[in-house]
Amino acid sequence: MTEPVLTPITQALNDGVLTRAELKALMRRSDRPALIHLALWLMLLGATGTLVWASLGTLWVWPAMFVHGIVVVHFFSIQHECVHYTVFRTRWLNDLVGYICGLVIILPNRFFRYEHCDHHTYTQLTGEDPEQIPMPKTLGEYLWYISSVPYWRAKFQELGRHAAGRLTEVERGFIPKEEHHTIFLEARLMLAFYASILLACVVFDWWAPLWFWLIPLFLGEPVMRFIRMTEHVGRPAIRDMKENTRSNMVSAPMRFLCWNMNYHAEHHYASSVPYHALPRLHDKLKGYVHVEEEGYLGAHREILRHLFGGGSEGRRA
Amino acid sequence: MSRDKVWTDLIAVSALESGDVTPVTLGHRELAVYDTLEGVTVSYARCTHGAANLCDGYFDGRRIECPLHQGLFDARTGQAVAAPARVALRMIEARVQDGMVQVLI
Ligand code: FES
Repeated sequence: MTEPVLTPITQALNDGVLTRAELKALMRRSDRPALIHLALWLMLLGATGTLVWASLGTLWVWPAMFVHGIVVVHFFSIQHECVHYTVFRTRWLNDLVGYICGLVIILPNRFFRYEHCDHHTYTQLTGEDPEQIPMPKTLGEYLWYISSVPYWRAKFQELGRHAAGRLTEVERGFIPKEEHHTIFLEARLMLAFYASILLACVVFDWWAPLWFWLIPLFLGEPVMRFIRMTEHVGRPAIRDMKENTRSNMVSAPMRFLCWNMNYHAEHHYASSVPYHALPRLHDKLKGYVHVEEEGYLGAHREILRHLFGGGSEGRRA
Repeated sequence: MSRDKVWTDLIAVSALESGDVTPVTLGHRELAVYDTLEGVTVSYARCTHGAANLCDGYFDGRRIECPLHQGLFDARTGQAVAAPARVALRMIEARVQDGMVQVLI
């Protein structure tokens, strides 16, 4: 039997920052908020897609695809919540929506679920957290990460490896043997899906998937990399959840777009709390978790301060 | 030689978190008492995947969701029903007698 672990939420309960009754109330699930949120979110996606459509054939199509891409990459936010089953009360809806989001942003859902479990167990621990984004050592490294080139390279290598029926040692650590075939099948299906889309483009001379989906996805990804860096990068590479994770106070439209993923420290504390209850959990955990009041830009200012020598001891991966 | 199991008082039904899961310690054992829609059941409190305390998880009256990775167990049978949980929970036979939850231990 594994040694009992002290999860962050048990720690927070022990520290008396919230009561069991409060936690249980926050964990209550409902399909309604997510269905409304999803409908509005898809309308936003439709609106930015319309911008692309209206600007086709002009140079404006590029800024329009970038704006649309910023929305497209936030399919990740929905998928992330879905792998925690904190979007819908109905469990299978989380699976369904999670798989669809994963198809859109080329992130196989089952694999991400397993990988993300280890991210929660070993948050920000160098060599153990499979999702850790290393603290850049130079401005060049910082910009290179944001460019998304290393991200896509890693993702495509991962997809190819899984489709070929191979896993790395690290992946074997968090994917149980019984699930290896599922991970391989998932990668193959994803590749087959994308191959069919590209084939349809060529055969029917139908390029809409490129203009409305794939080019925006690649154009928007640097924004997602910029945001993902604000969750842990620049925070100490230690086990203490009060220190190793950052919540970012961002505007209401941004919170809508990212499904409250900015309340990242709160999410790590209690990953069973639905996304819509995170602002309430934030009120409870005030003063207990690390909050960046100046939002994503404030977080990047902190990262750059460390980068340029403002005390990066223990923060590097 | 192992001694016979006996029914042991665990917690008063009135002290349970109604419709939810309540943490109870019995000697050195950490237990989870579930007030399920079909009666009271008891298991060891630690998740069989990563040993998180299930008492801090989300309980819907039938299934307990682990607070760390959201693995899922049937709180009536202990069966693991969703990844990453795979190994069943160890259940302890329980009954309610005179307003008291008892376990056969
Ligand atoms: S510790 Fe419970 S599902 Fe991982």
